[in-house]
Amino acid sequence: MFKHLLPKATSRPLLRPASNTFRASPSTFYLVDRSQYRRGYATEAEEKDLVIIGGGVAGYVAAIKAGQAGLKVACIEKRGTLGGTCLNVGCIPSKSLLNNSHLYHQILHDTKNRGIDVEGVKLNLEQMMKAKDTSVAGLTKGVEFLFKKNNVEYIKGTGAFADEHTIAVNLIDGGETSVRGKNIIIATGSEATPFPGLNIDEKKVVTSTGAIAMTKVPKKMVVIGGGIIGLEMGSVWSRLGAEVTVVEFLGQIGGPGMDAEISKAIQKTLQKQGMKFKLNTKVMSGDDSGESVKIAVEAAKGGKEETLDADVVLVAIGRRPYTAGLGLENIGLETDNRGRLVIDQEYRTKLPHIRVIGDCTFGPMLAHKAEEEAVAAIEYITKNYGHVNYGAIPSVMYTHPEVAWVGQNEAELKEAGIKYKVGSFPFTANSRAKTNLDTEGMVKFLCDAETDRILGIHIMGPNAGEMIAEGTLALEYGASAEDVARTCHAHPTLAEAFKEAAMATYDKAVHY
Amino acid sequence: MSSIASTCRLTARLANSHLQRQAARRGFRAAAVNNAAQNFTMPALSPTMTEGKIASWKVKEGDSFSAGDVLLEIETDKAQMDVEAQDDGVMFKIFEQDSANTVQVGKRIAVLAEPGDDLSSLEVPAEESSASGGQPARKDRPTPQVETAGGIDTTESSPSASEAPPSSKPNADAAAGGAADTTPATQEKGGKSAGRAQKQKYPLYPSVQHLLHEKGLSKEDADKIPATGPGGRLLKGDVLAYLGRIAKDYPAEQSKRLEKLGHLDLSNIQINVPKKVDTAKPAEAAKPAPPVDVEIALPISLTAVIATQKRVQDTLGINLPLSTFIARASELANEELPLSKNHKPTADDLFNSVLGLDKVGAKTSRGNYMPQIIGFPEAPVAARRAPARKADIIDLLSSKPAAPKKASRVLGAANAAAPHNVFSVTAPKGDERRAQTYLERMKLVLEAEPGRLVL
Repeated sequence: MFKHLLPKATSRPLLRPASNTFRASPSTFYLVDRSQYRRGYATEAEEKDLVIIGGGVAGYVAAIKAGQAGLKVACIEKRGTLGGTCLNVGCIPSKSLLNNSHLYHQILHDTKNRGIDVEGVKLNLEQMMKAKDTSVAGLTKGVEFLFKKNNVEYIKGTGAFADEHTIAVNLIDGGETSVRGKNIIIATGSEATPFPGLNIDEKKVVTSTGAIAMTKVPKKMVVIGGGIIGLEMGSVWSRLGAEVTVVEFLGQIGGPGMDAEISKAIQKTLQKQGMKFKLNTKVMSGDDSGESVKIAVEAAKGGKEETLDADVVLVAIGRRPYTAGLGLENIGLETDNRGRLVIDQEYRTKLPHIRVIGDCTFGPMLAHKAEEEAVAAIEYITKNYGHVNYGAIPSVMYTHPEVAWVGQNEAELKEAGIKYKVGSFPFTANSRAKTNLDTEGMVKFLCDAETDRILGIHIMGPNAGEMIAEGTLALEYGASAEDVARTCHAHPTLAEAFKEAAMATYDKAVHY
Repeated sequence: MSSIASTCRLTARLANSHLQRQAARRGFRAAAVNNAAQNFTMPALSPTMTEGKIASWKVKEGDSFSAGDVLLEIETDKAQMDVEAQDDGVMFKIFEQDSANTVQVGKRIAVLAEPGDDLSSLEVPAEESSASGGQPARKDRPTPQVETAGGIDTTESSPSASEAPPSSKPNADAAAGGAADTTPATQEKGGKSAGRAQKQKYPLYPSVQHLLHEKGLSKEDADKIPATGPGGRLLKGDVLAYLGRIAKDYPAEQSKRLEKLGHLDLSNIQINVPKKVDTAKPAEAAKPAPPVDVEIALPISLTAVIATQKRVQDTLGINLPLSTFIARASELANEELPLSKNHKPTADDLFNSVLGLDKVGAKTSRGNYMPQIIGFPEAPVAARRAPARKADIIDLLSSKPAAPKKASRVLGAANAAAPHNVFSVTAPKGDERRAQTYLERMKLVLEAEPGRLVL
């Protein structure tokens, strides 16, 4: 703490020891006196090298990285547990539910023809939720341990800017403190965008937060928004027995990044699994006053109106940056018209010692993107150079089969006027998928027509989320389809389909 | 344009091994800047091109041209191609005329001058070739030794020799600061070639190895191919371009495009909430007070109201003050007013409009107008109006919106006698329609059926 109060000049070597053994040399420097005086008051601001607001993926990764880099770092989190939305109410718990509900669904419907007769299959939702909570608790505790290991001070409370370098913290356990930072990183994340006219109570009208914590399986569920969150949570409850209807304003599910061909294919598959889709449909209004929720929908281009009745409505129309109560106005930081904090390419705000990473600024709202930015931001602080390739950030939808993609899709390439070639390989022709009796989906490469450089990879299939890592690596290295095709892939694996799709792009596939 | 690429390669090669030449080129350039003409040699438009025919010159002697202008058309056995100027300049002298016989790559075909050079005093430099750059002085070049394909030099195998023809040197170098800097400089200028040849430290990609092997090129040759991949890695496309199978600068263009995708798109940021609130708030607070605001007035007859008031008084024995009527009418009229032009959409609104939900909710909002009422001059008790108006001004100065109290004060029995009163509201600029709608509704309600306001 004294280090930073003292001048950096090394011409007075006496000062450092003096600050530690203050009593021995009381008159050395008046700053020493002051720091000693400060010791008595815990609430006095203490200057850190770096203060991070938000202990989500962006915040905690930045904190750990800063700790590893030897910075004096504090991380402020108000939830009470680290990991943010992702770990507590997002990616992680939903994956627990997706995995376990898939198992349940498979045992119910799919084991017989595999030669396994299972009797008396029953759903114990309470236990399923407990399993989820155990995973989450373990992981959040893990992050807390990593904080200790890397000397990150963890401040449980709500932070707000008092001035450009000081953050006032309203502690969860009562009381207030403040912390000063030479550098500050804002990583406050995002929240679900509410639907106008629907009152989110997380019981009848839920966001993803409520959708992972329901106490009973709803009979009828309406999902507003056919993006990744909507489809994943829709899948969970559909597998557990709910009648799920997804209402999507656009003409395709999966959001705008998903390739149209893949989107159609996954829609067909999900329909087979029992989900219903209403595309090109807008929700006009909702009424949650009664026992059930009534949702009035209408064809987007105008047309017949319809009322959907549901026990639970999941609002999954997107997320918006969360910066409320941060005191941005105290220091004059700007947000854009969608609430994103304005930054430059090095994540600096107009106050260059304040950086912003993760969901509360620009770019896709993905945990792994936030993580990359966290590492880069710390590197910018410590080394003046950081690297995130926004052109190679994968997206994954963990339905079954999974959908994953990286790079551009066909529509985007067409719009950019790029000549490209397509090569795809279906899992029906892949030996491992065949033996797994899990053959839905395909791997699709989009490569430049001239140079064969990979521009985008789109996968629908079992474990697509794992397979996309190879595609991301290929994209990061500027590989061509031929490079992938000439790389040995083990047999029999699903990844062979990946290789064969690459072969199909620059030449011809072997098995199709 | 191909000559830019080849210049890059050339300089890279020079930087690699022939430092001596660098010095030579520097000397040459210095001379070139000092009011000197430069040789323009037959460019190699593909790695395999050794000779070409000049189809036509697009500039005449004495013509000036600017970077990017087509200087001439060259015909090879494969195709006819345009040669663009790399820099602004003046055509000084043409040596090889149109449709002349085939010209070896690297042979001088013209002499170019810098823009603004005095052509009459300019002397034609001796022909030179890049391979002969052993001596610093420009004019003391040995006789041209045309370096072409079928290269004899074993260290520079044929493609690299022909791909780095001397041709491109004079024009492309003119503006550059030093041999080693030439590449970035020309890159910036041409905006084309992001790649430069460099030693490939990592294992070559399988596709690259395959192509090299197919063409009988060695690993050393790979180091001479301009690489456009991330971190200077050599990609399949680079080799294809080097071999002339695809357009020369395509891989570089592609890399540039993908590089751009690799960054956050921070263009067109529309600053919203805090800034606008900051500027708008004080403005709005000030708005009701200053007289620059538009005042909108409408004469409204209170006859019907007075009649109703009387009727109520007669039948029910209750004295309803006029202010009650006005207040209730105002309440009604304030409902669902059209949005002000100054209305700033909130983040929610914008998001809704993205979702197409903006047509769902009505585009209206509740107003908070309160009318000021002034009777016509012929109204009997003018004196009583004066203090009332003074109070207005004080209220206005204290930037309080007109309060209902005041309205009732203005409306005394005095006004009851006045059949026509002017109702007016002040509205910030841009809100005229909103205010107008409000007043029209007031008129409708007060004149048509005021009874419903109280019953």
